[in-house]
Amino acid sequence: MQGTNLNEHIRGSLEILVESADELRDLDQALGDGDLGITITAGSHAVVAELEKLSPTATPTEIARTCAKAFASANPSTMAALVAGALLNGSRTWEGKDEIGLAEATEFVTAAASSISQRGKSEVGDKTILDGIAAVAEALRTSSDSTEATDAAVRAAGRAVEETAGLQSRRGRASWLQERSIGLPDPGATAFQRLVEAWSRVSAATH
Amino acid sequence: MKKIINKPEDFVDEFVEGILLAHPDLVKTPGDDLRVLVRADAPLTGKVGIVTGGGSGHLPLFKGYVGKGLCSGVAIGNVFSSPSSDQIFEATKAVDGGAGVLYLYGNYGGDVFNFDLAGDLAELEGIETRTVLGRDDVASQPKDRRLDRRGVAGIFFAYKAAGAAAERGDSLDQVAAVAEDVVDHTATMGVGLAPTILPTTGRPSFELPDGEMEIGIGIHGEPGSRRGPLETADEIADHVVGALLEDLGLGEGARVAVLVNGLGATPLEELYLLYRRTHQILAERGIEIVRPYVGEYATSLEMAGASISLLELDDARLQLLDAPALSPFFQER
Repeated sequence: MQGTNLNEHIRGSLEILVESADELRDLDQALGDGDLGITITAGSHAVVAELEKLSPTATPTEIARTCAKAFASANPSTMAALVAGALLNGSRTWEGKDEIGLAEATEFVTAAASSISQRGKSEVGDKTILDGIAAVAEALRTSSDSTEATDAAVRAAGRAVEETAGLQSRRGRASWLQERSIGLPDPGATAFQRLVEAWSRVSAATH
Repeated sequence: MKKIINKPEDFVDEFVEGILLAHPDLVKTPGDDLRVLVRADAPLTGKVGIVTGGGSGHLPLFKGYVGKGLCSGVAIGNVFSSPSSDQIFEATKAVDGGAGVLYLYGNYGGDVFNFDLAGDLAELEGIETRTVLGRDDVASQPKDRRLDRRGVAGIFFAYKAAGAAAERGDSLDQVAAVAEDVVDHTATMGVGLAPTILPTTGRPSFELPDGEMEIGIGIHGEPGSRRGPLETADEIADHVVGALLEDLGLGEGARVAVLVNGLGATPLEELYLLYRRTHQILAERGIEIVRPYVGEYATSLEMAGASISLLELDDARLQLLDAPALSPFFQER
């Protein structure tokens, strides 16, 4: 996938992702402060607007950095800062690359997971968005081609969310609920699942 | 709630306008955003920039310390809320003189996320950054978790020393090392007597029964190590200074700078009562107060209460503390 296709693919996925805003808001009201729906909606719209302005010759790295800046500017929230930092870290793995395939996607998602873990001082199993991103990074790493990888990523993201429901939140506002957080799926991991599903739907439509 | 304000939502922008109108010779906004302020002569070519920031409601933190020999720029958020990464990044670009930028601010989650992201954005533009966090509040975590402590009034010492180091032309690594060294030798503890009322919500920042005080309170009204009946000024100073000396491991022969800081609604007279007793305790223990500072250095709007900070001095730290500085709030000639 080259720059122009990547740009279109991201925009298509985000337009689907915002349809989950109400679901994410409700999940976040149960565990956090309820602003995740707004964060995702405002962030996605800002990213789409900035990507539309980007030149067709923009490199994958430039595209990822545009996404990061737009997402952070749209929201001053902790989640937005974490996601933007993750995208910037991912963008470093694409320096000098024009073509994004399975190997590049794997590197990007792995770097994103590492940024979230470091900045958010979180580990897999803390019941955060990291659980979903790490599971998808692993699914990509063990897939042999893009189509297989997309399906594996969707399954891994969904399974990770199911697993978060059984866990107690250990980071952020949700950790204040302690054992009362058990039984509720993590809103951040769910948002990531919806993004991966949206990505897969756009892939299916373009093949 | 009685406050001298206009519209609550204009509170932050309007006090910044006031600062700009009062001190046009010292500070300016690099762009249209009133939440970003830099020293009037920024950027200084070849010198390290220092950017600080955090929530509003703590004046003279943070905007009062922008100027010569102190911080080069600042980004502030709403009352008790972090500035955005964009605002921090804007301050960074405006103060970068080609020698890199130190981020020096208090250890609070939202601020850390946004400063880290601003550092990423700066790196992409070729501006090198380092980060040193103020973490002087000894009541917020025990000593074995000192890296997780909150930053409170004692960050003033780090501003003063790092600002002087940047002014004399130290490299980014050197300025960061100076700031880290001062943070490592600073300890603060506060007591809260009455909360502030937040301008936008009209709610108190914490609840405290009549006749009680919160020992170890944070500058947003965070709970301290314990709550108890209000004590006399001498008893408060005994408790606080005793805890600080133990934390810093100071004894006979040590030299210190002392900062007795009002949290917003406590009169200067009461601060001098605390200073008086602090001076007596240190004299009894054979510790020399080389530099005293008494006044409002980091507040929590109109919270009643005070904090005491100690900085252990050596010749290098003392020299930086005594270097000239000129900002809207603080001057050293």
